Amino acid sequence: MEARLSGIDRNEALRYMGYRGSIAPDALCADLERCERLLLQTARPRALWRLFDLLPDGTLAGTDYRPGGQDIRDYLRGCDQVVLMAATLGAEAEALIRRAQKRDMADAVILDAVGSAAIENVCDNLCADLAETLSPRCLTERFSPGYGDLPLSEQETIFRILELERRIGVSLTAGGLMIPQKSVTAFIGVADEPQEQRPRGCESCAHFQDCAFRKERKSCGR
Amino acid sequence: MADKKMLILDGAMGTMLQAAGLPAGQLPELWNLTHPETVAAIHRRYVEAGSRVLYTNTFGANRLKAAGCGHSPAELVTGAVRCAREAAAGRDVKVALDIGPIGRLLEPLGDLSFDEAYELFKELIVAGENAGADLVVIETMSDLYEVKAAVLAAKENSRLPVWVTMTFEATGRSFLGVTVSSMALTLTGLGADALGFNCSLGPKELMPLVRELREWTDLPIILKPNAGLPDPASGEYGITPAEFAAAMEEAPGLGVSMIGGCCGTTPDFIRALREGFEGLAPAVPFPPKRSGVCSSVNTAESDGVRVIGERINPTGKKRFQQALREHDLDYIVRQAIEQQDAGADILDVNVGLPGMDEAALMRDVVRAVQEAVDLPLQIDSADPAAIEAGLRVYNGKAIVNSVNGKKEVLDSILPLCKKYGAAVVGLCMDENGIPPDWQGRVNIARRIMDAALACGIPKSDILIDCLTLTVSAQQDQAVQTLQALRYIRETLGLKTVLGVSNISFGLPSRETITACFLSQALYAGLDFPIINPNQRTVMDTVAAYRVLSGQDRDSEAYIRRFADAPAAPTAEKRGAASLSDTVMRGLGRETAALTEAALSDMDELEVVNRLLIPALDRVGERYEKQEIFLPQLIKAAGASCEGFEIIKKRIAQRGGKSVSKGKIILATVQGDIHDIGKNIVRVVLENYGYTVLDLGRDVPPEKIVEAVVRENVKLVGLSALMTTTVPSMAKTIEALRRSGHLCKIMVGGAVLTPEYAAEIGADYYAKDAKQSADIAKEVLG
Repeated sequence: MEARLSGIDRNEALRYMGYRGSIAPDALCADLERCERLLLQTARPRALWRLFDLLPDGTLAGTDYRPGGQDIRDYLRGCDQVVLMAATLGAEAEALIRRAQKRDMADAVILDAVGSAAIENVCDNLCADLAETLSPRCLTERFSPGYGDLPLSEQETIFRILELERRIGVSLTAGGLMIPQKSVTAFIGVADEPQEQRPRGCESCAHFQDCAFRKERKSCGR
Repeated sequence: MADKKMLILDGAMGTMLQAAGLPAGQLPELWNLTHPETVAAIHRRYVEAGSRVLYTNTFGANRLKAAGCGHSPAELVTGAVRCAREAAAGRDVKVALDIGPIGRLLEPLGDLSFDEAYELFKELIVAGENAGADLVVIETMSDLYEVKAAVLAAKENSRLPVWVTMTFEATGRSFLGVTVSSMALTLTGLGADALGFNCSLGPKELMPLVRELREWTDLPIILKPNAGLPDPASGEYGITPAEFAAAMEEAPGLGVSMIGGCCGTTPDFIRALREGFEGLAPAVPFPPKRSGVCSSVNTAESDGVRVIGERINPTGKKRFQQALREHDLDYIVRQAIEQQDAGADILDVNVGLPGMDEAALMRDVVRAVQEAVDLPLQIDSADPAAIEAGLRVYNGKAIVNSVNGKKEVLDSILPLCKKYGAAVVGLCMDENGIPPDWQGRVNIARRIMDAALACGIPKSDILIDCLTLTVSAQQDQAVQTLQALRYIRETLGLKTVLGVSNISFGLPSRETITACFLSQALYAGLDFPIINPNQRTVMDTVAAYRVLSGQDRDSEAYIRRFADAPAAPTAEKRGAASLSDTVMRGLGRETAALTEAALSDMDELEVVNRLLIPALDRVGERYEKQEIFLPQLIKAAGASCEGFEIIKKRIAQRGGKSVSKGKIILATVQGDIHDIGKNIVRVVLENYGYTVLDLGRDVPPEKIVEAVVRENVKLVGLSALMTTTVPSMAKTIEALRRSGHLCKIMVGGAVLTPEYAAEIGADYYAKDAKQSADIAKEVLG
């Protein structure tokens, strides 16, 4: 299953840039288009997943890893397997965004937002492919370290289990953040029955940690 | 050890340990101490299957990966070597100290410094040699910079041979974008004893990469592929030992002389390799067909004209000198970006300025430039310390500019070129000056060549500069230079470099003379013209020559160049607008022109305070009203920056000190690497006329305190993006307060709120970049 970056949701990118429902000016749309093209050319998306049986105590079978916190347990209630997945836009996209900060900060802001929308697209595509591969089994939405009370510090363990550094070229900083920054790790529950859609509120969003809307006690409206 | 016969290596260790009960996610190296008999038994099975080199179980034994396991890297390494030695006992089997990636990414993309990486590798290598390893093998690497740290650590701290294998994707690049040619050029230069590939792909997919590698190096080639690709659901690998061996069939003919397996391979795979390949004599390595210099992701092959951009050089440039004195790396980086955009293939870096620490500057500038552009660099200095400082931190294979025929120069600089694997420019002059006739210059070139060859530098890395003299002063010399060039190119068979621009000094319409001389020099065989790529006529000459010489196939690049040529800006567009308009619309060039015009009847400060700042203020107001948004705000700020640049240039020419409304320190706090927000604030503050000292990202509290006290700034801005890193911001504020310094602190970042900012003791909360400029105005005026 190849990682696929099939397109960029421009409205999502605009939201990341702080647009609050107003109409984007033409000049910006031209820049957006150019940045989207650049990012699509540059990104080398990669993704990886592994399916684990879920032991009754919540441990991933074959590992000694039991995800921490209550929220992930609630999330996986009713699931007997779990997919551990990771996706990234790759180091070139990271370098593109970083270099843009030296070259043209306005472009950098746009590229950063476009990159965020792009990695969401890669994740969505992976989930769609997974749903097909694992059919007729049913999948939950994605749940990532840092959502709710699932500690970000568990990235270390996830990285070891999935060997993300050597398999898709993502590594962690000393503080436990991912590089390339446009990367995602997530759990997806697997069950026989369709799982009730857990509220896809802020807690289960990849931007829970750094959302500018949430800070204003607003929601992006997703 | 690399004798004439195929050498069979071993297979996977991790796969075998997991089969023996190691849970996924646990540190495999711990088993060297807790289950030594299991580790030794795996080695023994490989020996019995035919392995003649055992890789120790130390892939992740470095201090960072092994943190918290209860044992030091040295203990893990010593245990691992013991296990392998035990299995090798009594047989003709070597033990290779296995070194994998550190697991943290190096700067600039990551947060680990080159020096830290070096120390981590050094610790392993010293322990490995002490424990009795026969060689060092650095494997599964995606980052050429990390490999460089490891190879230097091995070469400088042990006598062991060093093998390197990197991990590539089928696209021909590593995860970090490293190309096969960059790997080959850089590591052959650094003195690796063997090179190759492991992991990531199966043998079939790796074969095209081997073919490419063969073109760039004459080192023995190692091939250790995976057992195909893993099944995602189970994590198990696809192909059988027989299929694996069959897919390697082409390897010996390509000069691969060491083969083994990586993930998913077992002793059965090694047995299949032994049956297929043992005793076979691989093709003898031949001198590489191709040569060049490179950054980690970009190679300038010396098979045609490659332009070396000359603009990073303070000679005769007041503004550049000021940037060096003020450590304004951004200014220098902009020169690099500009030259890349103008079509330079390689950038010359010269930072020599009397009274400055050239080595430190060279190190910092090389780092900054290679972060911003991916062109190969030419380290330009006469000071061996500065040359070494640049070569050491350079990620790729550089050119050193330059040596000459003087013995002491050759003796001090050539060994550095050899050690770091750089190409070297030799100037045709010596203690007696520049010979007036071409024969004299050829003689010096020959002397330089002999000295470089004796030092172990390959002929393809010796570049000769026949020296351009100013034609208005010494008219007979242009011909001599061209004669020498032709002879050196054709008879000595060396590549040539030439600083071209000097030819036209003192004459009108300099570009005409320069372009004409360049075209003659190219015809005489010049490979690397050192020119100003921003001069369109000169670059047009290069583009035309590439067509005429056949380098530019079907004139593709030439046609593209002239198709893309921007129309000259029309007069009326320049005329009417006010500076306030051009800033608002983000038009940099127009803002610069209007600033220039305004300076005819106002002084610099007046232009800043009466025109530029009010223009920015208007932009800010519209931003606050949400009439415009962040990218436009930044564009406007960028346009005003072009205006400020004119002012700075004017002041530098007068020799005055730069205008600044005060200095502000900015930093993204420790633990956080998301610094785009901080960078936006910086651009905006700079465009408001403040001097920003940017400490970067992931900055420890003590470093911020130290800088605040040293620079005695009135305002410091801290940024943190993640909820997890906000505590680190609180810690930094606490440390600043404890220092007793009275600076004001402003904070910002996606998850911060005014309440939380107050709670952790900040003086100001900046909700965005615009507000940070308002705060600066309040604090600094």
